[in-house]
Amino acid sequence: MSKLIQIFSSRRTWAWPYVLFMALFVILPLILVGVYAFTDINGQFTVRNFAKFFTHSEAIQTFLYSLMIAVFNTAICLLIGYPAAYIMAQEDFKTPKVMAMLFILPMWINFLLRTVATVELFNMCGLPLGEGALLFGLCYDYLPFMIYPIYNTLQKMDNSLVEAAQDLGANRWQSFWKIIVPLSMPGVYSGIVMVFMPTVSTFAIAELLTHNNIKLFGSLIQDYITTTDLLNYGAVLSLVLLIIIGLTSFFGDHDSAAGEEKGGGLV
Amino acid sequence: MRRLMVIGYWLLVIALSSFAQSNLTYELKVGMTGEVKVLQDFPETYAGEKINIKVRGERVEVKGLETLDFAFSYESTEALQNWGDSIYSFTDETGTFWTVWQNKKEIKNRAQRVKVNNAYKTFTDYIVSHTAVEKRSRGWIWWVFAGLLFAGTALYGGYILYSRRKEQSLSSVEQETLRRKRMGMRRHYGSQLYLWLLLLVLYAPIALIAVFSFTKSKILGNWTGFSMDLYVNLFTGKADAGLNSAIMYTVIIALIAAVCSTILGTLAAIGIYNMRARHRKAISFLNSVPMINPDIITGISLFLLFVAMGVSQGLATVCIAHVVFCTPYVVLSVLPRLSRMNPNTYEAALDLGATPAQALRMVMLPELWPGMLSGFILALTLSVDDFGVTFFTKGSGGLETLSTFIYSDARKGGLTPELRPLFTIILLVMLIGLVVINIRNNKHKNE
Repeated sequence: MSKLIQIFSSRRTWAWPYVLFMALFVILPLILVGVYAFTDINGQFTVRNFAKFFTHSEAIQTFLYSLMIAVFNTAICLLIGYPAAYIMAQEDFKTPKVMAMLFILPMWINFLLRTVATVELFNMCGLPLGEGALLFGLCYDYLPFMIYPIYNTLQKMDNSLVEAAQDLGANRWQSFWKIIVPLSMPGVYSGIVMVFMPTVSTFAIAELLTHNNIKLFGSLIQDYITTTDLLNYGAVLSLVLLIIIGLTSFFGDHDSAAGEEKGGGLV
Repeated sequence: MRRLMVIGYWLLVIALSSFAQSNLTYELKVGMTGEVKVLQDFPETYAGEKINIKVRGERVEVKGLETLDFAFSYESTEALQNWGDSIYSFTDETGTFWTVWQNKKEIKNRAQRVKVNNAYKTFTDYIVSHTAVEKRSRGWIWWVFAGLLFAGTALYGGYILYSRRKEQSLSSVEQETLRRKRMGMRRHYGSQLYLWLLLLVLYAPIALIAVFSFTKSKILGNWTGFSMDLYVNLFTGKADAGLNSAIMYTVIIALIAAVCSTILGTLAAIGIYNMRARHRKAISFLNSVPMINPDIITGISLFLLFVAMGVSQGLATVCIAHVVFCTPYVVLSVLPRLSRMNPNTYEAALDLGATPAQALRMVMLPELWPGMLSGFILALTLSVDDFGVTFFTKGSGGLETLSTFIYSDARKGGLTPELRPLFTIILLVMLIGLVVINIRNNKHKNE
């Protein structure tokens, strides 16, 4: 009994319930994805599901298409979001906090409802619901995730560096490309990761935005995983997605740690 | 430069006009031989009545029949096979082939009662397929947009001409300073304009929801006159029963998840803070896993776990799943408070004879309170907003939260109208909160 009291009075042990909880509900399920991917319906070991994936042209095509859409969406968000973050981080910009909140506020409205409203808006303007609508909707949903980290790094940046560059004869453009852009790279990387990862795994949004005409990888996984006999194949697709996510987050981690490293490509 | 802008503007207008599509109106007489072919008995009761079918982009509205006041169209018939059975099909004067589909997927949920020849009949949603060739013409929004752009250019041009004339009387030095000042101003206003345009686009769909919360129409985008009925329905519980239970479950799940994750996360944060560096690193990696994982992966992996364990999915599994993705955020919001507080006060309390529980309650909690509160609020928002994880862990017992309810609603082709006032109110509360916080911050600054 006294030993028990001793154990619980050590604050280190207070994390144990959480560790146990995480092991059971985070680590074990992730392992299970792998287990299901390598077994058939009866629980026998098999690699047939993987073979099916590599010969299943629909799955491969959808996968590549989703990657492409995610890359495009990330690029668009970066192109639109960077200037916005840059403007907000300027010293003479008077209400950056309000502006940042205004950009985040739409996220309190359920994203599916916003998506349906976007579809309606496209209908009202007579615009077709195709790839354009899909990219618009995705960009609309994930733009705040790009603006916020970039704004944060730009705001924390030491402004005297820019002044120093200008004193040394750099014009506005040069000081922007040689000072501000490299210094904001950590924010850009985390923005890219924060936009790319949810986009590549998105489901539901694509379906609603294009009236089921365009299928992304997430929807494909959803279809298979909710069909009982194809659950194992769904697990294979999830594993593929998981690998992509792992690679992306590694990319984000690595580069935000390296900070000043020059930017590489996506993925 | 200015000339380029004007050219760009007109190019934009031309490009937009090629996108804009028509509002065609088909007027059909149901029951006329050769034009309408009745496959089942339902439309016969409408023989001789006029139906207005309006094609708007991809959507087809069928007016004149109360049942068919909205419908969706699909390009290919294969897509339709998944949606339901065809009720009847017909060809109109222009040779367009129409099929009316009954949506069999969610029949039990969305049955509508319709008055037909003084007798009530129950119908579900109907989907109309069309292969209509749409004429290209401009929608009204296009005119508004073009008008605004035109007025803007005209005003700006007028202003430029006016200021030019004024300038000529100035000396060359004054002109130069004026030019510089104007450059700065232009940059300033340009960047302001950019942000506001972006916000305009971001808020346009939300504004649509808010505006159409004041009309009774079932379809978003169909204005049938001002009415507060939807608000009344929402507050008197007259809205769709599914919506009411979805709101209830959303609140219950969010509260349970937030409370559990706050307790678990705070304890974990205290534990992690007191660990050796190596362990701390390992656990913070573990902590970041659910945050990095996209919701579909969290959802699927938990779904597989529950399937493997043979647990029937419902309220409990959804709550567990929400605790999984909420707790890491609580841990992250409590940890900074811990590093700010004096680590010896807890031990001092123990030395003075307090039990660990007392020391926690009387020494630690008052210090950690703000971090716990922000973690709690964060957990609430995350839980309410979640769709992916809930979707995979809710099971098939009919449990719906707001997100999943909206999803299944949208797939059926129409949103429950009471969702519009609900989210308008949420937006309004958030906006008011923002204003209040801003005013308080300003006061703080002034003091």
